[in-house]
Amino acid sequence: MTTPSPTVFVVDDYAPVRRSISRVLHAAGFAVAAFASAEEFLAQYDPRTLGCLVLLELQDILAKAGSVLPIIFLTGTADIPKSVQAMKHGASDFLTKPVNDEDLLSAVRVAFEKNRSVRQQQTELSEILARLATLTPREREVLEYVVTGKLNKQIAGDLGTVEQTVKVHRARVMQKMRVRSVAELVRLTQRCGISAR
Amino acid sequence: MSWITIVWSMNAAACLTLAGIYLLVWCKQRQNWAHLLFSFTAVATAAIAAFESAMMHAETIGQYEALLRWIHVPVWVLVISFVSFVRLYLHAGRRWLAWSICCLRTLVLILNFVFTPNLNFRHITSLRQFSWGGGEIISVPVGVANPWGLLSSVSLLLLLIFFVDATITVWRRGDRRRALVVGGSMIFGAILAWHVPLVIWGIIDIPFFLCFTYSGIVAAMAYELSYDVLHAAQLARQLQASEAELRETEQRMQLAASAAELGMWMWDIARNEIWITDKGRALFGFAPSEKLDFDRFRSALHPEDRESVHQAVENSLRTGAEYESEYRAVLPDGEVRWIAGRGHVEFNGDGQPVRMRGASVDITKRKQAEELAARQRNEMAHLSRVTMLGELSGSIAHELNLPLTAILCNAQAAQRILANGQVDRTELREILNEVISENKRACEVIRRLRLWLKKGEARQDSVRINKVVQDVLKLIHSDLVNQKVIVNCELARNLPAVTGDPVQLQQVLVNLVVNACDAMADCNTPERRLLIRTGTGNGNGNGAVLVSVTDRGGSIPEEKMEQIFEPFFTTKAKGMGLGLSVCHSIIAVHRGKLWATNNADCGATFHFSLPIGIRGTAVPISSNGQLDDHA
Repeated sequence: MTTPSPTVFVVDDYAPVRRSISRVLHAAGFAVAAFASAEEFLAQYDPRTLGCLVLLELQDILAKAGSVLPIIFLTGTADIPKSVQAMKHGASDFLTKPVNDEDLLSAVRVAFEKNRSVRQQQTELSEILARLATLTPREREVLEYVVTGKLNKQIAGDLGTVEQTVKVHRARVMQKMRVRSVAELVRLTQRCGISAR
Repeated sequence: MSWITIVWSMNAAACLTLAGIYLLVWCKQRQNWAHLLFSFTAVATAAIAAFESAMMHAETIGQYEALLRWIHVPVWVLVISFVSFVRLYLHAGRRWLAWSICCLRTLVLILNFVFTPNLNFRHITSLRQFSWGGGEIISVPVGVANPWGLLSSVSLLLLLIFFVDATITVWRRGDRRRALVVGGSMIFGAILAWHVPLVIWGIIDIPFFLCFTYSGIVAAMAYELSYDVLHAAQLARQLQASEAELRETEQRMQLAASAAELGMWMWDIARNEIWITDKGRALFGFAPSEKLDFDRFRSALHPEDRESVHQAVENSLRTGAEYESEYRAVLPDGEVRWIAGRGHVEFNGDGQPVRMRGASVDITKRKQAEELAARQRNEMAHLSRVTMLGELSGSIAHELNLPLTAILCNAQAAQRILANGQVDRTELREILNEVISENKRACEVIRRLRLWLKKGEARQDSVRINKVVQDVLKLIHSDLVNQKVIVNCELARNLPAVTGDPVQLQQVLVNLVVNACDAMADCNTPERRLLIRTGTGNGNGNGAVLVSVTDRGGSIPEEKMEQIFEPFFTTKAKGMGLGLSVCHSIIAVHRGKLWATNNADCGATFHFSLPIGIRGTAVPISSNGQLDDHA
């Protein structure tokens, strides 16, 4: 099964606007899919698809659905309450109508790039989590002490064991997490939100 | 000369004098036949007196016979006059009796000239001469009475009965003085007249004094007639007094009319002549001596008002309704003056209009004040619209942004397609079609805005209220969507048109809808429902179109039901509190009504009614008095 190509999803209830925006994006070489409503979009959306969402009116339902796509809002009036609301809903960009094609396209490109990097980070993160999952509870415990920068002797003291045992666990952790230095281990654990003891 | 000659002559003279006087009176008043009859009576009595006097002094039997024969002529005149007088003046006496007496008396007169020497005697044997009452020597006839003379007695008897009957009638009628004076004297006279047959039959021995028996009646009649004359004089005095009073009333009226600047007029319809006071002439600019008729009046009117005035007059003539009309008159110098005319039509017995009376007054100042008020009202309404547009600016911008976005994107897409080199003609055609249709949509929004913002006089168009509702919903569509308000419409089909300003009516409805939305701002989304209804009903007694806007927000406290329509009353943090008061005045100018009620469950309903087909009060005029042209 192939991953779908990156697509711009356009959602608006007013057909002429929906069609014309789709045309611009299509002419600029993007794959476009247009929907009259948020519900229609969610029913057809394949979560693996990369891209971005162009929304012409703020729609609560998308935020609730927790889409991972960056959202570009196109609105009639760029007043402060609306902007704040849009940002809270995770807007990638906020444009006012009528929109210039270059602004729209650059916003779409930025959103694509953002989406791509988010996807990459997500992939990396899931890999780190997978490595973490291979650790035994004892190794995990040792990991949490190691990232605080404590020496083996101190860790052994805290855990009530001997220094040699801690040494073995540490080596296994480094191996399983595929890191060569403690600094590298710290970076990984920070990314997946493991706090030090 | 003895007293007998003097008394008989005086009697005759008095009767002639009275006859002369009443003949003169009759000449002045020909319709009063009683006066002429009286004159005949008096002349006849005078003649009888002369004949009697002559008979008393007759020397020979031949003389006496001739005199006795001719005395029947004045007696006949006298009897006929009496009977006629009773019938005509007293309106009494039986008709058949009257005719019987007249016929019998005429028969007596004819027979009198048939028999020789006369009706009374077969022949007179001698004249007995003697001194009577210490006077001179007089003659009394002695002879054989004619049996036909009884006819004369019968006529006398009938006359007596006739008088008695007439007197009773008059008495019963309640006219006791007349019954006593005239009737009494006549009965008395008719009784006394019986001395004539008694003398002829030789029973008593006195000269004839018929003239005295009748002169009593003449005197009574004269008294009665003079009483009438006196009465007439009294009436004339009263009439004079009331005429003076009338003149004074008229002067007061004129004073009041001139103080009120009223021009009074009267139109004689049959002769088509118009009489009008000087004030009225000045009002219309007619020359003081100019002859006026309806066409001249019509020509003084403003050409645009001629038809309506004509119709108002026609309507009054046809139905008898009060004439009432407001119109402009153009004076000879070109000045235009507003005039209000009122009047009523008088009809004759056949129901034909005879004349029309009325008054006209200059109402230019009032009209100018009305015009000023209308202008201020329109400016207020305009200001309120501008304010409202400010509040709605977001949704209006949105309404414009949609088509503009579509146009821009389509055009830029087309540029890119051309730049890419792979031209799909079908797509380009679609793009251009969409550009055009979206452009039209934007134009429509702008057109609505321009109408909405247009400043000017209120129009008097024929307005379909359902169209107003639809236009309003288009205008504030985005606002409703933004506020998540669902609008339901129940629009009655085939509603009659109303007369008014479409934009001002839209304004009222927008106000009501915006207020309703604001009232529901705190409601849960599914509760934000608005119902707009149209229908027909009764407004101020006439047919009216009704519009109502029902929300599901809070209710209005009962004590504030009236207050909400007052200026500067507001419950909103931002509002000026002018919206509803402006709406109220707009609806009032349209002769309608705006009111609010609370719903049974929740929320309130605002209603307004507009009379069907009636023009509003405000006729827009500009300072030069010309009707504004909205074409």
